[in-house]
Amino acid sequence: MDATTPAHFTRRSALRMTAAAAAAVPAASALAACGDSGGSGGGAATGELSLVYLGDATQQKSFNALFEQFNQVHPKIQIKARGIAAKDWATFANTVSTQIAGGKVPDIVQVATEGQRLFASKGLLLPLDPYLKRDKKAVDAYFADVDPKLKRWTEKYGSTDGRTYYVPGGYNTVCLYLNTDLFKKAGVDLPGDEWTWEDFRRAGLQIKEKTGAFMLPVNYVNPFLDLMPWLLTNGTSTLNAAWDKGTFDSPEAAEAATFVKSLIDDGLSPKPGGTFDGPSQYAKGKLAALAGGRWTTVDMRRIKMVGKTHIVSWPVHKGHGSPVGWDGWPILKASKKKDAAWTFLKWLMTKDASDFYAKIGGTTVPARKSVAASASFTTDAPKGTEELPKAITYGTPIPSPNQGAQVQAAIMKGWQAAITGTKPVAEALTAANTELSGLL
Amino acid sequence: MTTVAPLRTPAAAAPAAGVARTKRRDWAGYAFLSPALLLFLVFILGPFLAAIVLAFFSWDMLTPATFNGVGNFTEMFSDPLLYKALANTFVFALASVVSHVAGGLLLALAVNKVMSRVLSYFVRTALFFPFVISWAAVALLWKYVLDPTFGIFTYYFDKIGFQAPGWFTDPAWALPAIIGIDWWHTIGFTFVIMLAGLQTVPQQLVEAARVDGASPRQIFWYVTIPMMSPTIFFASVITFIGAFQIFDPVQIITPQGGPDDSTVTVVMYLYQKGFESFQVGYASAVSLLVFVVMMAVTMLQFWGSRKWVHQQ
Repeated sequence: MDATTPAHFTRRSALRMTAAAAAAVPAASALAACGDSGGSGGGAATGELSLVYLGDATQQKSFNALFEQFNQVHPKIQIKARGIAAKDWATFANTVSTQIAGGKVPDIVQVATEGQRLFASKGLLLPLDPYLKRDKKAVDAYFADVDPKLKRWTEKYGSTDGRTYYVPGGYNTVCLYLNTDLFKKAGVDLPGDEWTWEDFRRAGLQIKEKTGAFMLPVNYVNPFLDLMPWLLTNGTSTLNAAWDKGTFDSPEAAEAATFVKSLIDDGLSPKPGGTFDGPSQYAKGKLAALAGGRWTTVDMRRIKMVGKTHIVSWPVHKGHGSPVGWDGWPILKASKKKDAAWTFLKWLMTKDASDFYAKIGGTTVPARKSVAASASFTTDAPKGTEELPKAITYGTPIPSPNQGAQVQAAIMKGWQAAITGTKPVAEALTAANTELSGLL
Repeated sequence: MTTVAPLRTPAAAAPAAGVARTKRRDWAGYAFLSPALLLFLVFILGPFLAAIVLAFFSWDMLTPATFNGVGNFTEMFSDPLLYKALANTFVFALASVVSHVAGGLLLALAVNKVMSRVLSYFVRTALFFPFVISWAAVALLWKYVLDPTFGIFTYYFDKIGFQAPGWFTDPAWALPAIIGIDWWHTIGFTFVIMLAGLQTVPQQLVEAARVDGASPRQIFWYVTIPMMSPTIFFASVITFIGAFQIFDPVQIITPQGGPDDSTVTVVMYLYQKGFESFQVGYASAVSLLVFVVMMAVTMLQFWGSRKWVHQQ
C-alpha cells in the first residue's frame, strides 16, 4: 500500500531491485530455518514489528500516520518502519539483504511486482494460505472490492509453487498528464479516450510550432514509463504472458520504436540521455505532457500544477494498453512475530486503512475499487484521475521474471540503440531479444 | 598476599629489565598499530580472502552457496561482455595514463614558469580544485554540461554550425567523453605531483647544461626529463591503478554501461554481476582477475622502469 513508485524514479530499476529485494534476504535463507514453513499460529501476536519500505522521511511520515491509525485498533502491536531511501529498487533490495545478512531481519518487506517472483522463488517468504483461509471473511470482503486481475496476477506471478505469498496492495498504471495551459495556448483540444499515436503527433507538432514546448520526454531509462506504454498500445510486450519467451523483436515492437524515434527526430522530445527534468519543465510551460502513474499526482501537487493538468489514457495504435505494477506484502519466514505481522496485513486490507492511506497522499492507486472511486483518492488530484484505476482494466503486468535485472538491462540497451539511432531499429531489437531470450 | 622478589645480581637484573622494557615497547607499538591493522584486516584482507573463497562457489546471496570448482573461472573465458569490459578498461587506463602524464607535466612546466607568485598560487589552486569535488557531483555536473538538448557544449556547437555528437548515446563518443571528464577531474593531482618533481630538479645541473651551450629543448630532454623520471614513473603507476578501477563516473553517467556497452568497465561489470545479477561467485572471480591484471601491469611497469627511470 506504499509508494511503489516514488516520484521521478518509480520502477526504473525495478527488475534489478526485484532481485535486490530478494537480496535483502541473503542470510534470511539461513534464518528461515527458524521460522515455520507456513500456516497460522506461528510467532507472537503482539510486540514490535519491523517493516522495511522504499522511501525517505517523507514516506516515513505517511507510514507513521498509518501506524497510528492501526494502533487505534490494535494497540498491542507496535510497528517500526525503516525507510531505505534508495534511488531504485535494486539498491533498496541490496540494502535490505545486507541488513538481513547482518541479523536485522524485518517481519514485513514491501516488494514491488518486479521482485515478487524472485523473492517467492527463493523460499524466503511465509505461505499465507493458512492465514487467508482462517480469515476468509475479511479476505473475501477485500477481494470482492479489488479488481480480480490483481488477485489473479498475484497468484500467477508472485508464486512459483502455487502457494500464496503476497497480499496485493496498491498499484500503478501509466497515463499521460497533460498541461492544459499549453494545449489551450496552442489551440489544441484536449484529446478524448480514443486518441491515436497520430493524433498525439499532430498535437505535439502544433504545440511545438505555437509555443516551442516539447510534447513528451522519451527515454531509455525506465521501462515502466519509457517503453511499455508504447509496446502495449501497439499490441505487444517485451515478453510473452508466461514471461518465458522474448517478443521484443516483433514487428509491432519495431513499429513502436520507430514511432518513438520519430518523436525525437521531429523535436517533440528532448534528446534522451540528458538531464531534462520533466516536472520542472512542465511547470515552466515548456513541456506539454508527462507520463506517470499516481505518484505523478504527488509531483503535480509539489509543483502546484494540479489545477492545470488533465489526465488522459495513453494514445492508442492497436488498442489501449498500460503496464501495471503493484505492491505485494509478504511476511518473512524468519519472522518471530508472524501472527502480529498477519494482523497488520489483514488490517491493511480493510477499507478504513485503504481510505486513510489514500487521504494522506499515497503514491499508488488503492487496490479497493470503492476507495479509488472515492473522494479520498480524487480530491486534490488532476481532472481525469479516474483514468488511473481504469487503466488496470486493460493493463498488463510489467514483465518481471527471476532474471529481471539482466532482462531489463538487455531490453533497455536495445531500446536505447533503436530510439537514438545508433543501430537500425529492427537490428537493435533483434539483438536485444536474442540476448534476453538467452537469459530466460 | 605478599610476594617476595627473588634475589638477583645486578648483572642478571639489567638484561631482565631491558627485556621487560622491550616487551612494553612492543605492546605499545602493537597498540598504536592496532587501529590501522584492524581496519586492514576487516576491510582489505578479510574481503580479499573472502573473494578468493567465493570465487569457487555459486552464490546468489539468497540461497546457500554451492561449490562450483573452477567453473567461475572457465566461464570467464567464454564471456564476451567481460572481454569488452576489459578492452574498454584498458583503453580508458591507457588514455588516462598518457593524457595525465603528458598533461600534468605540461601544466607543471607552464606553472613553474609563471613569475608572479600570486598568479602561480591561483593557477595551482584552480587546477587542483576539481580533484576535491566528489565524483558524484562531477558526474552530474558534466551530464548537464554535455546535455544533448540544453548543454553548453551543444549550444556552442550549434552556434558554430555543427551538430554536437550524442556524448553519452553514441558508442563512438561515450568512452572518450568519460575519459575527458576523468581528465578534468583528476589532472590536478598529477599536476601537483609533477610540479613537486619539477621543483626538485637540481638547478646547478640546469645551469651547467646552459653554460655548456645546451638549448632549452636539450635541457628539457636531457636534464629535466631524466631527473623527473622517478616522478613520472610514480605518476604513471598511480594513474594506471586508479584508472583501472574506474567506476563512479561510468556508473552515474551511463548506468547501463553506455550505448552498445561502450562504457562498461571491468569494475562496473563485476558490480553488475555481483549486485544486480546476484552472481556473487562469478563477480568474485572477476575481482581476482582484476587484481591479477593490475598486479601484472604494475610489475611490468616496475620492470620497464629499470630501462628509463633515472635512479640517483
